[in-house]
Amino acid sequence: MEECSIKAQDLTKQFGQLTAVDHVSFCVKPGEVYSLLGPNGAGKTTTIKMLATLLQPTAGEAWIKGHSILREPHMVRRAIGLVPQDLTADDELTGWENVVIQAKLYGFRGVEAERRAKEALDFMGLLEAAQRRVSTYSGGMRRRLEVAMSLVHSPEVLFLDEPTLGLDVQSRRHLWGLIEELRRQGKTILLTTHYMEEAEALADRVAIIDHGRIVAEGSPEELKSRIKGETIHVRLRDPGQTIALAEKLSKELGVDAEAKGDTVTVRVKSSAETLPGLVQVVSGMPVVEIRIVKPNLEEVFLELTGRGLRDEEFDVFKFRVMARRVRR
Amino acid sequence: MGATLVLLRREIKKWVGRRPVFVMSMITPLIWLALFGKSLNLYSMFNLEQPGFAELIQRIVEQRVLELFGTLDYFTYLASGMLVVFALFQSAFGGVGIVFDKRLGYMTRLLVSPIPRASIFIAKIMGTLFRISVLSVVLFAAALALGFQVKQGITLLDLAAAGAVILLLSLGLASIYATMAFYANNHEVLFAAMNLINLPLMFTSSAIFPREQMPSWLRAIAAVNPITHAADLVRYHLIGRPVNSYMHSLGLLAAFSLILFLAGMALSLRSLKESR
Repeated sequence: MEECSIKAQDLTKQFGQLTAVDHVSFCVKPGEVYSLLGPNGAGKTTTIKMLATLLQPTAGEAWIKGHSILREPHMVRRAIGLVPQDLTADDELTGWENVVIQAKLYGFRGVEAERRAKEALDFMGLLEAAQRRVSTYSGGMRRRLEVAMSLVHSPEVLFLDEPTLGLDVQSRRHLWGLIEELRRQGKTILLTTHYMEEAEALADRVAIIDHGRIVAEGSPEELKSRIKGETIHVRLRDPGQTIALAEKLSKELGVDAEAKGDTVTVRVKSSAETLPGLVQVVSGMPVVEIRIVKPNLEEVFLELTGRGLRDEEFDVFKFRVMARRVRR
Repeated sequence: MGATLVLLRREIKKWVGRRPVFVMSMITPLIWLALFGKSLNLYSMFNLEQPGFAELIQRIVEQRVLELFGTLDYFTYLASGMLVVFALFQSAFGGVGIVFDKRLGYMTRLLVSPIPRASIFIAKIMGTLFRISVLSVVLFAAALALGFQVKQGITLLDLAAAGAVILLLSLGLASIYATMAFYANNHEVLFAAMNLINLPLMFTSSAIFPREQMPSWLRAIAAVNPITHAADLVRYHLIGRPVNSYMHSLGLLAAFSLILFLAGMALSLRSLKESR
């Protein structure tokens, strides 16, 4: 059990008739970045809330660094840092005040609390803005402040729930860099996201979650290799010849080839193996372009669930920021 | 205890930091006193100008007014009641902050940290009591400036006792509203409850009018209304109006507040256990 920093065993949560999380089991090793990847409503946040002792599971059990979330919630809370999907900082206070209060809630006093607050703010690049009220922060700064607040007690295990939701590309890259740095420091990180690129960029291992169940798990490479190989797109100058080419490729190379418009799409196990033969077949034809598409997690997800990841993307984060402004 | 103090300091910081709210909450007591107190000066109604036999009536009226109100100045009677009613309203406002902490996600932060759950509840109550302490002092100072007549030979102990009574009442009231807030999903629920509870509680007490003058059914309600007992005790200490039974009033008030505080804490902790 100690081999896992985070271990979930048949974790289940029901809300009335709805089963939000359905017998989810996984193990995150120390120092690993593990990502729960799935669309909105797949059960990612509910899973994190249970692990962070915010919700009681209906069934199942989980351990953080060997501490049971059911029997030793207090020990679990000491060991973890949570960056929730909601913005939790108090926007009537300054960034500094927020982080210092956070340090004090973990039992650090006076100078030590301030030293930790300074370190966390510095690490997240917020030292300059520390004396400003949070209500003046940009979306990216608010996110970074959330992370700073979660780091102030140096937790070994970090939960990041959709950390870059709604951020612009630049802020997202910035945050990715910081998460990468946290991994280098040896933190165990559980990250939920519905951004494919995010899971691919950050995670050592990915669990694809849909309708509350883990449907696949593995390193991004392993998951991608589940897609039967790669696709080669051959584009011709003359669309009239594509059907003939598709038939020829099927016959001579024994591959699955399909003509559409001016392009022939060939599904192969490995482009490296097929390409030499393919080049021979197409030689003499008016080829404009040969493009090889390696599988990505998006395709994996599509293959496993029959749906795209961002079918119905609604920008929850932007909506929340807006709602907060209205309420103020 | 450490966590409670950290959270209490946050409450105070937020209150003082919200300049407009802070200033308004300071001005409110003044307006209350000016409007309620000075516009309703009962005694002046009986102030007869005719000489002779009018003096006799005047004396009878004075005696009666003194008997009922414990002072010839209705403003003094009302202002001492207002101290108590003001605590009632401030207690209700205390709940609103809890709803906002929940809605704005701050509660999640607290719940995921290793602080005792009770400290969240206790800090909120203490924050409310702190605000009430400060505002009561302001209110009392304003009352003095407007002509409040304290009893002869009033001591610091009397002032402290009156303050303690107000805080004891507030402990119970703040617990009711805090508990409601822990269960409520939006602040409108709280405002609705405030309208539902506060005005009847105020008018069925001796805060505004002596209960001896009430119809019997109303007197029965007033007799168990904690506002009545708090107002009676405060008046005893500030203006020297006799109280029926000091220990009875104090016991009732203490029982009310302690039971509500403990029950409120138990219920609130239960709501925190399964927060969504």
